[in-house]
Order: sequence, then structure tokens, then C-alpha cells
Amino acid sequence: MKNSSSYTGIAYLFLAPALILMGIFTFWPVGYNAYLAFNDYSIADGAATWNNFEHFKYIYKEELFHNALKNSLIFLLIVPVIQICALLLAKLVNNKLPGMTFFRAAFYIPVITAISIAGVVWVNVYKYDGILTWFLQALHLIPQGSEGQVDWLGNPAIALFGVMLFTFWRGIGWFMVLYLAGLQAIPKEVEEAAILDGANAFQRFWKITVPMVKPTILLCSLMSTIAAMKILQEVVVLTKGQADTYTALFYVYDQAFRNYNFGRAAAAGLVVTFFCMILAAIQFRFFGEKK
Amino acid sequence: MAMGKQLRTALAMTGQYAGLIGFGIFTTFPFIWALSVALSADPSNTWLFPRSFWPTDISLMWFKRVFDDMPFMTYMKNSTWMTLQTIVGVVVLSILAGYPLARLRFPGRNFIFVAILATMMMPTEVAIIPNFITLKHMGLLDTQLGAVIPNLSTAFGIFLMKQAFEAVPQDLVDAARVDGATEMQILWRVMVPVSGPSIASLAIFSLVNAWNDYLWPSIVISSKEKLPLAVGVFNDLTGPFATSYSMVMAAIVMTVIPVLIFFAFTQRYFIGGLDGAVK
Repeated sequence: MKNSSSYTGIAYLFLAPALILMGIFTFWPVGYNAYLAFNDYSIADGAATWNNFEHFKYIYKEELFHNALKNSLIFLLIVPVIQICALLLAKLVNNKLPGMTFFRAAFYIPVITAISIAGVVWVNVYKYDGILTWFLQALHLIPQGSEGQVDWLGNPAIALFGVMLFTFWRGIGWFMVLYLAGLQAIPKEVEEAAILDGANAFQRFWKITVPMVKPTILLCSLMSTIAAMKILQEVVVLTKGQADTYTALFYVYDQAFRNYNFGRAAAAGLVVTFFCMILAAIQFRFFGEKK
Repeated sequence: MAMGKQLRTALAMTGQYAGLIGFGIFTTFPFIWALSVALSADPSNTWLFPRSFWPTDISLMWFKRVFDDMPFMTYMKNSTWMTLQTIVGVVVLSILAGYPLARLRFPGRNFIFVAILATMMMPTEVAIIPNFITLKHMGLLDTQLGAVIPNLSTAFGIFLMKQAFEAVPQDLVDAARVDGATEMQILWRVMVPVSGPSIASLAIFSLVNAWNDYLWPSIVISSKEKLPLAVGVFNDLTGPFATSYSMVMAAIVMTVIPVLIFFAFTQRYFIGGLDGAVK
């Protein structure tokens, strides 16, 4: 038998293609982004000139960026909503009922649809005379007739929530499946014993389900938080940043590819990265330590 | 007492189905609406609810119009080609990288694994600017390869394959070693054949991701004839064709259907493959 160190060469050989590509397109960009944040980058000749903290000073004072950051933080409200709903939904589809495969697939359709295509439909759902208006009017939740018609994505007071609902619609099936996998790992006997002891459904959910899927909850809420912090494509396909839906990463995208100010965009990107790291650390503390 | 229990069970069942159906309507109504509008020759009901949820004058004319007015087949071909490249790349790279992380002991192993996993927690969207510059230097802007290449090495794929290879019995590996197999042979003749389900689910995941990728191809590719479906159709629908809702909906249905058919046949692997990633 060979000793372990003789595998070093072959191990690195096997890892090389993946690591090289990841190095170029994932690790290097994170470092280079930090470098760009302190430079003026010229898209024409690729020259970067050092300009200290000018980009940071600029965005620190800029209303547009403040607002974008604020919108991104508001967007985090979606995280607990989507996680609680996904866990409850997973609990529901974990029951063996006729037709369950069909329902699981139906809940998964938004996940496997291109965001751009789903976005085109939802823009029409949100039109002032679209399905949402009709539905809310049918429930008498908003005034009837043209009085109640709202351009849901065009109204700055609510457009961001419109983007959130779209995110919820697209994301819940994904998290449902992750929780489903977590639920199926719980031994049947535990639940059965609790039923014998007379625990009701609510008690079983809190005392058994939640503690047993805690690792999945951490994973999902972490993914969900980072996803919410870096909302970008949803804004691109739904509103293009109109009506107060400018998020922090949309600012990055907009500065880079509309204004070609790569340095300022990189600085904003660095700020977003920083926020993501803080939020991840908070969640590890919150879910990770106390059993 | 027996009656009471039966009644409770019936009530619970009804409640569960109500929840399932209600939520099913929530996730599918945009597509049902799109399908109905696309199938209706007469567009006058499009904005009349709930009337628009069933088609009037069923005809395929709007679907035909999509083929005639949009370079739909070109987009389709581009998506197919780019998706194929992505699947092959992701699967091969993940298999190669997953094996040493799962089965070989070597210095730096833990560090490399943690570094790969950490990318799952980073907001990698900030990479769009440096990657755009890198592709410019490589001369890959406005190429399909440029849209594909940053997606080939994924933490998710490597992680999934590592989990799969860890589950392979050591006896199989030992037997192959006794027979004098090289590591490459062990990987392709022992590990890969018994990890079929995980490889299938990784391939399916890559397919759906690549087929649906929007933002990055929209940044990299500028020539219309090189665009994949998710970008080309979006650009056309929000641009020149935005006036005919029937045609917009027909194009949407046609874009969604290939993925749906594919998903119908593979959903067992698709959803099953996630178990390994969570446990």
C-alpha cells in the first residue's frame, strides 16, 4: 500500500481544472473587485489609476446608494416569511396523500422557469388591470372599478414588495425541497412516540420538527439571506430600478454596465460583501450555538 | 369515539388538500393564464378575469407567429449548445475534483474544501465586473464560450460529487487497488459507475441552470444571433413584440415547455439529488 503523501500529485492533478477555473472566475474576482474599488478603471484602455477612498467617499454621501442599501435591507424581511412558509409547506407535502407528486411538481415549476421569462409574465400580473388587481377586488380588499386599480410595479410605496412577492413565488419551491430532505431524515419513531405521549400537532412541530431540522434551517436561512441581500436579476427583469426598487446590487450593475463607472460599482459591491459577511456571522451565532 | 376520529381525519384531509390546491394555484396561475391567452385566437379576453383563464377560439396561430417573427429556433439552438457545454464541463470538473476531496489524503485538502464551500456563502455577483474585464482580456466578450466558462466550476457540483464518492464502499476501492488500478481507473471504472444517480441529478441541475441563465449571458453576449433563449426571448418580448400580448404569452409558453417536459421525466432525480446536499 502506498502511503498517503504519494497521492498528493494525483490529487492536485484532479483538482487542477476546477481550481484553476474557480481561481480565475470566483476567487480572483473577489480580490480584483476590492482592488478596483480603490481605482478609476477605464473601460477603453483597461488602465486603472489609484484614487484612494474617493469611490467610498462618494457613495457614502450619495442618496441613491443609501436608498439602494436601505431597499436591500428592507428586502431581508422576505427571509423569515419564505423560510417559515417553506418549512410548513414541506411539512404538508411530506404527508403521503394521493397526487402528492403532482403537487410537489406544481410547487417546483417557478424554480425551473427562467427568471426573465417568469418576469415577463409577472409584469403583466402586476399591471393596473392585471390579475392581482382583479383578485384583490374580488376579495373586496381594494376599491372596485378603476379607483382600486394600481400600477403595482410603478408605485414607489409598494413596488419593492411586488419584487418580494415575485421572489417568494420563485424561491419557496426550492426551500420546500431542501426542508423536505431534512424532514425525511427524521426517524418515524420519534414522531410516533410523541403522538403516544399525547403531544398535539403544534407541540410536535415545535419540540420535534424544528429542533431536528435546525441544521437545514441554518443552511436555508443563510442562503436566503445572502440571496435577499444580493437581489439584482429580479429588479432587472421587473422594474429596472424604477419606483424605488433600486437595490444595492442593482446599483452595482447599473453603475458598471450603464454608467461604465467600474470603480464606483466595485466599491459598492465591496460594501454589499461586507454586509453579507456580517449577516452570515449573525446567523451562525443565532442558529449555530445554542442547541 | 370512532366517528369522531373519522371526522377528524376527513377534516384534516380536506384541510391538507385545500392547502395544496390553493398553493398550487399560486405557483401555476401565471402559466395557466399565459397558456390560455396563447391558445386563444381572439385576444379580447386577455384582461378579463377569470374569463381569460380558459381559451376562446382555440388555435395555434400565435405559436406560429412566434416562429415566423422571432428567431426562436436560433435562440433554441444557442441554448441547447451552451447548455450541453455547461453540463459536460460541470460534470467532468466536479467528478475530477470531488474524488480527491472524498477519498485521498493530501496536504491542503481541508483548506481547499473549505475555500470551495466558502464561495457558496459569498455574494459572487460582485464578480460580474472583474469577470467582464477578464473576458475582455481573453477576447471572449460576445462569445457563447464567454457566457459558459465562469459557470463550469461550481462549489455545488464539487460538493455533491464529494458526498456521492464518500458513500462508495471502501472494499470496492481496495479490490481495484489490489488489481493494480491507477487512481484514474478507480475513479472512472469504480466510482463513477456506482454514483449514477448523483451524476444524473448534477447533470439535471446544470441543465436547468444553464438553460435559464439570464443575467450573465445578457452582459457578455451582444449579438442577437448568439443569444440563448432566456435572454433573446426576454429582449424581444420587452421590446418589439410587447404590443401583442397573445404572442408574448405564446413565446413564454414555448420557452417554458421544454424545461417542463424535461422536468416531468427527471423530477425524481432532480429532487432526490438534493438529499445528498442537505444531509
